[in-house]
Amino acid sequence: MVILENIGCAVIKLINSFADIIYFAWKILIRIFNRNTYTSAMRTVLIDQIYFTSVQILPIFLMVSIAFGSLLIGVLFLQLKQLGLTQYFGHVLMGLIVTEFSPFITVLLITLRSGSAINTEIAVMKVNKEMSALEAFRIDVINYLLVPRVINGVISIVLLSTLFSVVLLGSGILFSSLIFGMSIDAYSNVLLNSANFSDIIIALLKSIVFGFFIILIPVRFGLQASHELTSIPIVVSRGMVNVFAAILTIEVLSLIIKLF
Amino acid sequence: MKREVKVGLFIVCTAIIICVALLYLANEKGFFARNYTFTLSSQSGDGFTEGMPVEFSGFTIGKVQKLELNDKGLVLIKIKIPQKHLKWIKIDSTFTLYRPLIGAARIIVTTDNLKSAALPEDKIPEVQIVNDINDSIEKVQPLLDKVTQIAENLERVSSKIDVMAGKADVHVFGSEGTMPQVNKILKDVNGKLERLNPTVDNVNKISTEASEGLKDIGILRSNVDDTLNAVEDVAKGVDSIISRKKEPEIKLP
Repeated sequence: MVILENIGCAVIKLINSFADIIYFAWKILIRIFNRNTYTSAMRTVLIDQIYFTSVQILPIFLMVSIAFGSLLIGVLFLQLKQLGLTQYFGHVLMGLIVTEFSPFITVLLITLRSGSAINTEIAVMKVNKEMSALEAFRIDVINYLLVPRVINGVISIVLLSTLFSVVLLGSGILFSSLIFGMSIDAYSNVLLNSANFSDIIIALLKSIVFGFFIILIPVRFGLQASHELTSIPIVVSRGMVNVFAAILTIEVLSLIIKLF
Repeated sequence: MKREVKVGLFIVCTAIIICVALLYLANEKGFFARNYTFTLSSQSGDGFTEGMPVEFSGFTIGKVQKLELNDKGLVLIKIKIPQKHLKWIKIDSTFTLYRPLIGAARIIVTTDNLKSAALPEDKIPEVQIVNDINDSIEKVQPLLDKVTQIAENLERVSSKIDVMAGKADVHVFGSEGTMPQVNKILKDVNGKLERLNPTVDNVNKISTEASEGLKDIGILRSNVDDTLNAVEDVAKGVDSIISRKKEPEIKLP
């Protein structure tokens, strides 16, 4: 009976947590589509957030993209050549690398760098009662603090994953020439033949959903911090675990959508 | 450079990249081009799917738009070809459904004479079917037959060996078999050997006694040797006495 009770408690807790996230997401979405949200203060915060999340890490992100992308493309092309599946390299490049790996790697990098930072920032603000201070001055915390961060997540993930794809396709030119002896014209033709418009749209939509949730979840868990300093690591670790679960769930859902 | 400018530059540049890439792709995929629809026929719809690519010289020039079954039971395959690829579809073009062993099936267009007249939209050419899977199975079939034959032979040999093993078992381990007889012989031999043990002891005893007797014979022999030497000396003495006499003849009493 105790085991059953524990299982029941865990499931109810999970469902409540999920419902809480969905309700919070709905609240944020309503604010995003509300014109009154976009005040000058909110726009300043948004620009700052985009600067910290995307522009500031751009050189490092590009270097990581070049290194990781080249390695990935090189290994993949070599394997395709060894298996005699050269004719499918376009499909692999577009279907797997560009539409699947690029958003996934980007979201992992941004989650590790910015997701954890935002989670901690919100939790610290909560502990220091900065939220209460803002509310005392009648400043809408959701509009001023949360919405810019979530919008920043969407914009950053979409733009950075596109850049990652561009870098990967650039590496592809080099490796297709080295491994398959392919000219740039032939390479672009193969890519165009393999590119599926709907796949690219799904990849973009997936990036938007990724960006929304990888910031929304840390923000939500950051807000759950109590007024004790010891609650900060607890909410940060819980938030990050939930973010990774969300990333996997979104990946699986996008695969299911692609199947249909 | 101000922070706002950097952010603006980043967003605008990346947004331009995305838009240009999408527009280029849409244009190349014929999103803005006029499409022509041709109808092909086949006896069976097996292997055809909506959205299947139509290829010419390895390049995708269109796709299957719709599959229909007409009143005569023929499968009608409607393919959509953008205007820019219309030049590859001629009246003498052949359409082949290619189903590779690995990878997706596709319709391959082959045009021998590119100067021929264009294919009218109301003409319905038939699709030939090339099936790598069936071809492979046909190629592998004789080999499979041989393997089956070898397996049957092996089974036959194995059953024979089983029968032989049964018989050998009866001959070797049966009540009248070799092994019980060998056991019986061994028991007999064992009994006889046990009976031989006292005899061997006696022989050993005799041998010991004979050995001791031989020692006595040695002493006896040395005595005999001494006696013979003495007799020889006496004979020599007698011989020397006889040789000194005038008449060597001795008269015995």
